[in-house]
Amino acid sequence: MSTLSFTVGHASRGPFGPRTGKVTLQRAAMALTVSTPGLMVATTRGVVPHLARDQHRRTAALRWVHVPFESFVENVPPTPTIHPGPHPLHTFLAFPDQLVLLALRDPADPRDLPPNGKDHVNVWTARGVKKVSPAQWRAYVHACAPDIVVALPDIPYTPPPFSQKRTTKSIDRTTAWLAHLLAPAPEPLNILVHMAGGLSAAARCAFAESLVESLHENEAAAVRPHLSLDSGVAGYVFDLQPLHRAMDVSSDPVHAPAARADETAALFHASLAPASPAKLRVVNSVASPHEVLRLVRAVGIDVFDAKWAQDAAHVGVALDFVFPVPETAAPRRDLGHNLYRVQYAHDFAPFADTAPACPCGACAPVAPPTVISHSVLDVHAPSAVPPASYTRAYVHHLLHTHEMSAHALLVMHNLAVFDAFFAGVRAVLERGDDFSTAVDRFLAAHDETLAVVAEARTMWRDVDVARGKGRLARERSEMTPG
Amino acid sequence: MAQFELLARCHTTRARVSRLTLAHGVTMLPTFMPVATQAAVKGLTPQQVEALGVTLILNNTYHLNLRPGIKVLSEAGGAHKFQGWNKNLLTDSGGFQLVSLSKFTTITEDGALFESPFTGEPTMLTPEESMSIQHAIGADIIMQLDDVVPSMTPDRQRVEEAMERSVRWLDRCIAHHTLSGKQDSQNLFAIVQGGLDFELRDRCLKQMVERKNSVAGFAIGGLSGGEEKDIFWRIVKQCTEKLPEDRPRYCMGIGFAEDLLVSVALGVDMADCVFPTRTARFGVALTPRGPLNLRLAKYAKDFRPIDGSCPCPTCADGTSRAMLNHTITRETVAAHAVTLHNIAFQAQIMGGARDAILAGTFPDYLQTFFVNYFGDVGYPEWCVNALRSVGVDLLEGSDIKVVTGSGAKWE
Repeated sequence: MSTLSFTVGHASRGPFGPRTGKVTLQRAAMALTVSTPGLMVATTRGVVPHLARDQHRRTAALRWVHVPFESFVENVPPTPTIHPGPHPLHTFLAFPDQLVLLALRDPADPRDLPPNGKDHVNVWTARGVKKVSPAQWRAYVHACAPDIVVALPDIPYTPPPFSQKRTTKSIDRTTAWLAHLLAPAPEPLNILVHMAGGLSAAARCAFAESLVESLHENEAAAVRPHLSLDSGVAGYVFDLQPLHRAMDVSSDPVHAPAARADETAALFHASLAPASPAKLRVVNSVASPHEVLRLVRAVGIDVFDAKWAQDAAHVGVALDFVFPVPETAAPRRDLGHNLYRVQYAHDFAPFADTAPACPCGACAPVAPPTVISHSVLDVHAPSAVPPASYTRAYVHHLLHTHEMSAHALLVMHNLAVFDAFFAGVRAVLERGDDFSTAVDRFLAAHDETLAVVAEARTMWRDVDVARGKGRLARERSEMTPG
Repeated sequence: MAQFELLARCHTTRARVSRLTLAHGVTMLPTFMPVATQAAVKGLTPQQVEALGVTLILNNTYHLNLRPGIKVLSEAGGAHKFQGWNKNLLTDSGGFQLVSLSKFTTITEDGALFESPFTGEPTMLTPEESMSIQHAIGADIIMQLDDVVPSMTPDRQRVEEAMERSVRWLDRCIAHHTLSGKQDSQNLFAIVQGGLDFELRDRCLKQMVERKNSVAGFAIGGLSGGEEKDIFWRIVKQCTEKLPEDRPRYCMGIGFAEDLLVSVALGVDMADCVFPTRTARFGVALTPRGPLNLRLAKYAKDFRPIDGSCPCPTCADGTSRAMLNHTITRETVAAHAVTLHNIAFQAQIMGGARDAILAGTFPDYLQTFFVNYFGDVGYPEWCVNALRSVGVDLLEGSDIKVVTGSGAKWE
């Protein structure tokens, strides 16, 4: 089983100020430390989209993966739960050296689902909607042995808005299902809990208070040796996607990013105020580095998923930004390059201007350390010169010819850029520089609407329609809104 | 000019081992060439392909001429630099795709007249133009423009005309290539045509072999078009018997394991096909015991790798059939994983053949391969016939049945 600890390093401005920290994981002989604020890589069907296993090792940003379990519910019993060996999930998915966080659902999936029940939640699979009960979830988790698990939350995926009664139900179920997972077991788990309460600060506060309150008698016995639910959890999770969706249809919708960030921060404060300040705070489905910076500054969030950066790679965008913004930076620029644009057809530069020393497998490819020999006559002659950076012109060509390797190169690159961004955030915090000013400069320097990604998505779809005969049908349904 | 050294011959069959040294290094033959149509082996980076022990890949001239176009390739310093591939590269002439992909292609003596995909204007691809495009791409091996007719064409006159024209176009390619001053870095191969007609093939072989000193190698074209396998191997054998010993022989468009090994036994040195990479994307993994269709439900709980003895990254990493079953046709990484495996499988088949020819055990190697691969379903009759013609009897001391037709194995 995995031992997890989180220590806060530099912290400022009370319980919600920006902070650095270290997540340390010990699993058998494997030890891993992840510095925070930092990223976790999103997966679908148990894989990092576009990144073959032999590319994992060339991707230093791949330390922590978020694995939604729901696709495995297609088979009964779910395949990873019957995998032999001591680390079934890590082995099955080939993440031996990564921190694997297991959640039931993909937090970025916006599709509607039927209402959850008293004893089940609904999930999306390739074979339609399936039900998972808290008891099944507990069994699956113990069979899979992830490093971290998110307790089953009751997040409604029916169309918002939600009544107060529904919110109360959500809180009660999430609490009960957490207690169910906390019940004594042969192997302890590292559990995160999703902070329930939706758009109501009061409900969020009530949920958090129910976590920290001391339990007595039967309730205490059920989660022994924990004295409260909170003492059994390692940290807190916030899913932005359902929250923002609810905000969109609220009576007083707020769309401006800054105002929406303030509203989000206030709700997260309500959740975190009663909770333990030294526990890990994880956010799913940020839309931009702007949102990351706001949540670091206003809430002290520690870990963010990289889905938006991976999605940008999926539609042909090479990210190009650093934190803090260099003094010499151009006035206002896009967060990256839409490599579908014709201007890149003759551009033989590496992907990024701002990060000339990008360490990714596209900007700094390395010759293979070993080459398979197929006969006694084969003599591997390593090239005298190291491989050159992949160019914008080459990926422009690959994108327009619908070649999959474009996305493999872009995923490696975008993860490296986002990872370096976090390293920049930590460096500013550790030096004690004026973080807030650095954030403001970043917000002003880069387009937050991600127009470059929207434009690329349109061009991606055009090429996909024109050339996607053999392309995977799933991608289309996934990337087409609605 | 390419350096071609014969290292060993099989004592029984016509198979041989050789070393082909080109501008971007050494390629040991016999070999299989993975296809990188649009300057990328589908889903893989050049570093991944190199790590598989591949030293020679194929780009398609027709496609690269459309995208990125010759201007971009020239600016990049050629296709090697453009795609980051520092090993050997072969380009076809563009003629085959012109006929198979383009509408309104008309063949005239001057060249192939087709509708430009850019402007819709009538455009001419002449032998000289094909050479110029391939010079800009800069591949180590370039192919003559030939007049391609489908192998099943019933019109003998048309096949004869195409064969004779291919010889005349070879002369124009040789002339243009010689004038270009690129002979040191790029090597022109002739393509033997003549359809399924032994007499036409003989006439083509005679004329092309006369031009031997102007070409670096010979390809056998006009096959793999759905013809009877029993005719396919006879044409290959006819060609390899008449082609000069001191030039590499390239059989175009073959990729099934049994096709490769029979062709090698008949004296073929090189082959290419999209089959192993294309079938990978549809979830079919190639193994010494036959293809596995990873989409089948029986693999959903199968935690073994595709092939426990395979050195490819997918198998060496222990990627299970169950995980591939979960992701194939839904996630590109599953296509990448099986593509890596299938390319390594082809390379293993050919590398094993090299070792066996060198060690004087190639007939045993053939026997072992066929027992493992076809033992459960039966030997294709054409393979039995073809190998018998070069002194290997698959049926000797065997009670494995023989099946007619192509006999290609599928799951």
